[in-house]
Amino acid sequence: MSDIPVTTDSEESATQDAGMAIDLTAAPEVAETDVPPELVAQSLGQYARAWWLRVRSGNSGVLPVVMAIVVVAISFQITNSKFLSPQNLVNLFEQSTVYMVLAMAEIFVLLLAEVDLSVGLVMVLGSVVVVELVQPNGANWPWWAAIIAALLACSAWGAIQGTLVARLKMPSFIVTLGGLLILEGVSIIVLGGSLAGIGNSRFTNEVVLYDIFWGQIGPVTSWVLLVVLVGAAGTGLWTQAARRRRHGLETPPRSLTAMKIVLMAVAGVALVAICNVNRAHSGTIEGVPYIIVIVLVVLAGWTVLLQRTRFGRYVYAIGGNPEAARRAGVSLPGVRTLGFVLAGLTSGIAGVLFASWQVSLTTNIIKSANSYVLLAIAAAVIGGTSLFGGRGKTIHGVLGGLVIGGIYNGLYLLGVSSEWIDVVVAAVLLAAAGVDVLSRRGAPRQA
Amino acid sequence: MTADPAQTPTAAPDATQAAAALVPPEYVSQSLGRYVRASWAGVRSGNSGVLPVILAMVLVAVVFEIITPEHAFLRPSNLVYVFGLSTVYMVLAVAETVVLLLGEIDLSVGAVAMIGGVIAFKLVQQPGPGWPWWAAVLAALVACGVIGALQGTLTARLKIPSFVVTLGGFLLFSGILIVMLGGADGSVSVSSTDSNQRVIYDMVQGLIAPVVGWVGLAVVVAIAGAMLWLRAAARRRQGLAAPPVSLTIIRIGLVALVGVAVVLICSINRGRALVAIEGIPWVIPIVLAVLGGWTLVLQRTRFGRYLYAIGGNPEAARRAGVSLAGIRTWAFALCSATAGLGGILLGSFFFGEYSTNTADPGQLVLYAVAAAVIGGVSLFGGRGKAIHGVLGGLLIGGIAYGVSLLNLGELSTPLAYIVPGGVLLGAVMVDVLSRRGGGSVTRV
Repeated sequence: MSDIPVTTDSEESATQDAGMAIDLTAAPEVAETDVPPELVAQSLGQYARAWWLRVRSGNSGVLPVVMAIVVVAISFQITNSKFLSPQNLVNLFEQSTVYMVLAMAEIFVLLLAEVDLSVGLVMVLGSVVVVELVQPNGANWPWWAAIIAALLACSAWGAIQGTLVARLKMPSFIVTLGGLLILEGVSIIVLGGSLAGIGNSRFTNEVVLYDIFWGQIGPVTSWVLLVVLVGAAGTGLWTQAARRRRHGLETPPRSLTAMKIVLMAVAGVALVAICNVNRAHSGTIEGVPYIIVIVLVVLAGWTVLLQRTRFGRYVYAIGGNPEAARRAGVSLPGVRTLGFVLAGLTSGIAGVLFASWQVSLTTNIIKSANSYVLLAIAAAVIGGTSLFGGRGKTIHGVLGGLVIGGIYNGLYLLGVSSEWIDVVVAAVLLAAAGVDVLSRRGAPRQA
Repeated sequence: MTADPAQTPTAAPDATQAAAALVPPEYVSQSLGRYVRASWAGVRSGNSGVLPVILAMVLVAVVFEIITPEHAFLRPSNLVYVFGLSTVYMVLAVAETVVLLLGEIDLSVGAVAMIGGVIAFKLVQQPGPGWPWWAAVLAALVACGVIGALQGTLTARLKIPSFVVTLGGFLLFSGILIVMLGGADGSVSVSSTDSNQRVIYDMVQGLIAPVVGWVGLAVVVAIAGAMLWLRAAARRRQGLAAPPVSLTIIRIGLVALVGVAVVLICSINRGRALVAIEGIPWVIPIVLAVLGGWTLVLQRTRFGRYLYAIGGNPEAARRAGVSLAGIRTWAFALCSATAGLGGILLGSFFFGEYSTNTADPGQLVLYAVAAAVIGGVSLFGGRGKAIHGVLGGLLIGGIAYGVSLLNLGELSTPLAYIVPGGVLLGAVMVDVLSRRGGGSVTRV
């Protein structure tokens, strides 16, 4: 903890350096739009103006995706009044989690200005490995060992693909296209027969895996957890701002920090309240699903990794301008390979969720897993991550995944057949990519 | 990107050698010996042309002949079957080559091809539209061309990366394909009894009688030989650099030899029972026509030269006055139209029946890209010919069929994925490494 002021200090001087460097080449107002608004604004009004300036220059952040979520919610609610019912909302969250985690995996690679078309099949590999390893009449490993093995296998695959891309300089979309095919075959081999599952409630290992997706925390525990989480996050935000202020550094206005904490609390209360409604047709199913907590943990972990560590800064640096990063002494192959490893690891996490979601895996599920990568890329790009590298955050994957999940769920409720849903998702992907391109054009600095 | 900055000073003398290696050897050599030496220099500097793919084909044929049960791979019936199976990959690979030459990629060729096939099949249905076969084929190619032009516009004018546009297009058209077929278990077929539909049915299934085949071969070899000879003679007369006479003769001889071998193999009776099956599949002249057409377009027209120019260095092409957006859009449109023809052949190969199980559009595109790259087309643009797509497609088809001959039981499904994936990665690795050996490296 004691070195945090030091880190902040160096971050600050880096920002100043960057500002000076930009001043030489670009107009001052351009430089302003690249600095996060909370660092330049001393009051809420200034913050709002700085934020608006950024939005107009293409740095719109999460605004478009939040608007997309609102539009999706309203339009489906109009066509089907069940869409926003607590039962369906929880269902929708649950369905979206796999897309969210996959999108978070894809973001590591997109930030590097590469692409990973194999995330869907890496996910399948992870799910097949985890399911096969806990089979009571097979390997019969404990559930945690099976999960670790699956994550290791997926990370190793990411390392292989990353090495081919980073060291041999093969184009990432071809490496991962070939990788996708190979994984499809490997997954079918690992699956062995045509079916394997975790649906047997007599075996603790299978029950634990099953509960990852289908289990939930009790309502009371959910409230307690929420209070603890919001308390911890709020205190963290507040003390961080206070410390910056004490050291005389640029700080967000107090009212902004307070607003952020309140927003967090409101979102949390709404989520827990919705999840605590009994959503069973008969009996009781209530409480926050474990899987929502898992997604939040992944989100928090990867956000810290990308925003607060040297590795994260290197990822953005390479995505923004690889040559500049190289001249600044960043090891391009190392960071790129690690980016692919993290994408593999995160896809592996998605694989564990996927295994739990599907309960039993079949050869047909493996064969149809191809479209998940499209959903992952679409979710990341819809969320606001750029296809051209250097722009995006982990939260974009979660929000974009929610949009994709919402579209799937809403169209399914309307009785639209799966091929038309694919058509809609493809159109959304193209639209998101178009917006990405246009917003980069609007931005003053082009990579 | 691959060139280390430290190497730049020493790269200068290499550059002249590399430049020499980039000139076709027939223009710099006056005798056969020199031609061989110039070709060898080209091979060593990464411009290996069709040599690796032909070696790979020989290797694949020998290996599968040895390891398949009963050594069945090189039976005439199997060879003709492999050719039929490969035609789809060949045509799709030629289509993909057009886009790869630009340094772009089209991941939707498989889905677009199947859309084209279904359109042609739907239009000849009786009762139904009942169009004449040529109008249905034309309509399918135009429809596919329009799809390609749309995707090309998104890539060329909006500057959305082509792999994203065509990935979205792949999903979009795979969905529309199922809708057009009338649901997941819908199908459309052409019958071999209706005289109009039979033309489409026969594109891959139909056979030319051996006698007609021999006559056709003689005509084709005579025309090709005369053209090669006359062109060389014309160049020589005008004092231009021309290939040595011996080389022209060897080339004509090679064309005749390959033709005789193909007709001979196809003319062997490969029927099992009382019914004789012999003759040349129609699809061979069709593929030759696609190959000839695209070779002419790529090597002898302004459009073709612009494709190579953009693929080699887009900025240089733009400054030379080439309309990047226009050429790129046209390339995507023509790629998709060619793919549409491949889709019609695909349906014909499956005995005139189109269903959602006919082929996996995702796998088709992988085979197409792999075939083009294995054939010798570079993923980085500016390098490749139509013949590379054809040879690569034949190789991929041979590998796919050889694996299926091995009777691997449970392993045959996964191997159908692993083998093309591995082959694709291997081919790209060779492409990347050979570009490193080559003088000009343009990956940004």
